[in-house]
Amino acid sequence: MAVALTMARMKVAMLRHAFHGTRAQTAGTGAALGALLAAGTVYLAFTDPDLPAAGYAVWLLGWILGPIFMGGGDETLRPEYFSLLGLPPRRLAAGLLVSAFVGVAPLVSLTALLGLLVAGVRLGVANALVAVPAMVLQLAVFVLLSKVSVAVVGLALRTRPGAIASGVLNGAILAALGQIWVFFVVFGQTGVPAAVWYLPSGWGLLAVRGEWWALGALALLALLLLGAWAALLSRRAGAARPSTRGRRPMRAATANGAIVAKELRTWSRDLVRNHQLTFALSYGVCFAASPLILGWAGMLPYAGPIFIVMAAAMTANLYGTDGTALWLTLLTPSASDVRGRQLAWLSAHAPVAIVLTVAFTAVTGGPWPLILALLPALLGGAAGLVPLVSVYGLVPGTDPHRRAGNPLRTSEDDGGLTGLAYLMLALVLLTGAPAALAALRYGWAGLAVGVVTGVLCYWGFGLLTERRLRSHGPELLDVMRTGHKPRTTVKSRFEQLSKTQKTIAWWCFGFGAIPLVPQGIVAAVFVADGMLRHSWFLATYMPPGLRYPVAAAFAALGLAMYGTGVWVVTPRSSR
Amino acid sequence: MTPALEISRLTKRFGGKLAVDAIDLSVPPGSFFGLVGQNGAGKTTTLSMAVGLLRPDDGSARIFGEDVWSAPERAKAMVGVLPDGLAMPERLTGREVLTYLGLLRGLDKEVVARRAEDLLAVLELDGAEKTLVIEYSTGMRKKIGLATALLHAPRLLVLDEPFEAVDPVSAATIKTILRGFVAGGGSIVLSSHVMALVEQLCDHVAVIDRGTVAAAGTLDEVRGARSLEETFVELVGERDSGVKELSWLSR
Repeated sequence: MAVALTMARMKVAMLRHAFHGTRAQTAGTGAALGALLAAGTVYLAFTDPDLPAAGYAVWLLGWILGPIFMGGGDETLRPEYFSLLGLPPRRLAAGLLVSAFVGVAPLVSLTALLGLLVAGVRLGVANALVAVPAMVLQLAVFVLLSKVSVAVVGLALRTRPGAIASGVLNGAILAALGQIWVFFVVFGQTGVPAAVWYLPSGWGLLAVRGEWWALGALALLALLLLGAWAALLSRRAGAARPSTRGRRPMRAATANGAIVAKELRTWSRDLVRNHQLTFALSYGVCFAASPLILGWAGMLPYAGPIFIVMAAAMTANLYGTDGTALWLTLLTPSASDVRGRQLAWLSAHAPVAIVLTVAFTAVTGGPWPLILALLPALLGGAAGLVPLVSVYGLVPGTDPHRRAGNPLRTSEDDGGLTGLAYLMLALVLLTGAPAALAALRYGWAGLAVGVVTGVLCYWGFGLLTERRLRSHGPELLDVMRTGHKPRTTVKSRFEQLSKTQKTIAWWCFGFGAIPLVPQGIVAAVFVADGMLRHSWFLATYMPPGLRYPVAAAFAALGLAMYGTGVWVVTPRSSR
Repeated sequence: MTPALEISRLTKRFGGKLAVDAIDLSVPPGSFFGLVGQNGAGKTTTLSMAVGLLRPDDGSARIFGEDVWSAPERAKAMVGVLPDGLAMPERLTGREVLTYLGLLRGLDKEVVARRAEDLLAVLELDGAEKTLVIEYSTGMRKKIGLATALLHAPRLLVLDEPFEAVDPVSAATIKTILRGFVAGGGSIVLSSHVMALVEQLCDHVAVIDRGTVAAAGTLDEVRGARSLEETFVELVGERDSGVKELSWLSR
């Protein structure tokens, strides 16, 4: 136990050093969101007895799939740190397990597991007493299942077939979860499926409800998982080795061509990227195809668009995963790294997306205008947003040659990575919105809109990224080298402003949305739909010739307010 | 004559710590310039700022008269850099890295192929034709880094610890290459904490201590009649007592 406690203390010390600046903010946001979910789960314990079982099933899946989706799970204490100590694998695993209880995620989960105590108290004293060990064992099972699944995927990622297989499997599981309603309909379920009681996540509740065997089963499972993890830990020595078969010679003849060639080789040789690509593909196909079980093919054409959005989310930290290799870009300012990466992203993803979309839409026979409008809009949007988001929201990664035995772990800040992935999901969806709306309303005109917004996003976001790299390149390199962002965040910059500037900024950011959204955009939509004299939308009260100009003027005012706000808080560059 | 590298009043602060304190240095063209100092003295920070990889809080750096920050394209075309411990395009082979970087530097495809061939052969990396950079040993990483620095035939080389983890045979090769580079009119700035190496190679030397220049000039001006190591220890070494021993290590 002494080893375990030392490790736990070591982790506390490391977390104390790590949680500063942006990482503290992401951790704080994560903890707040988690606390909200935990409170929701505990609340379930006061209601229907079936609901908490379903709730804990979701927590279990979160523990298993979350780290595989992004960041490879918490690895503040890497097993490699202890490889020279000669600890037996079981003791090492036990120590790492104890230290794995230290952290935000386990604490949040433990809070959620308070629901067991609530359920116990409602049933009687004995049940309440059982709830306490049940909570601990349940948490141990969560943590261990997470560690074992990450270790198994990590092993699979050492070979190309393994990487592809685990990508396909994980994508399918996540898609099935997203489409769980399909399975409910199939099984004629209306409430919570009884199966959730027999998942390991339900055993704690079973124990609390008087099925004492479940407590023993939890303990046994925890022991078995600990043994499995110990066995897997001893196999993880050494980093993943890419295959060393014959290499095709690089035939590029220009700077741009060279960047594309470099990126495409990375796409095909890096097994983590292989895994991400197949994950996105499998997710798109399974998500869109699962309603086929019900005999409904209406979602099938969306497999391609879903693949694009998911693939963009997986590559949200494009620059961060390459780490400090950015120095080469800084030293060759005349070559355009961004355009090359955009082209490479498209070459790796567009053919798959196009084939998938055309084939599946042909199967269902439509709706062609909508799907074909979405395709260029999303492809252009993603190829523009991926470099932009990865530069503006850069999460410092671990340099590829310094990564430890867990290939999924590309950064120490997995909270930041996950946030970035979700941000990318939302932003890429937004870039598809104009084309989709136009296609729904005007049919084939949507295709033109899709092509235009796609090209604009590709060109414009690429340009913004280039500018940012040019103006902030050394700062980005510094973030990657030190692993943390400088502490001069927006907040402290804001504090340096004068009182007048602060007031102006507050007004601009606080109220810019009012002219822009309701009085501008929404009012214009009402005018277009002929909904006149509508509540407080000024443009709808205007005489015919002035309606659009008034809405446009409001929108312009809103944009100008945001522009002023940004201009006020932007630090004047010192150089 | 325009200095190959001119650093004036470069300053960098990390948090509350002043890492580099208004350093001035001038590297004459055609010189082999050694930068020596203890760990953490500010050598890497100074060199990073001098080539445009780290933004200084104050001061400027010029390469053959071109400001690194206001005319980066012209300045960076004239310099080859070997940074310490930074990543490379890891999933490429050595030859691919050189091809990629040569094209990025705007060189012609055939020229790149020829130079890559030469560099790989001279640095004995051509045996590892199928090995990706991520699988390279530390010494091999240094060598491929040096190859990328030399590829576009720059007029100035800035090398951060070029001999660390390099085996003696390769080190001899690298020394020959570097001497040839200087003999051909090139200039080199090199940082190291191996005094013997600096004495052997360099004609100019600067001693960096706690972010400032403790001494600078030609090798003979700095070391006088003594060895560089003695001068160095006197300049930056422990001012108080001698070195403590670990009594519990002896049986």
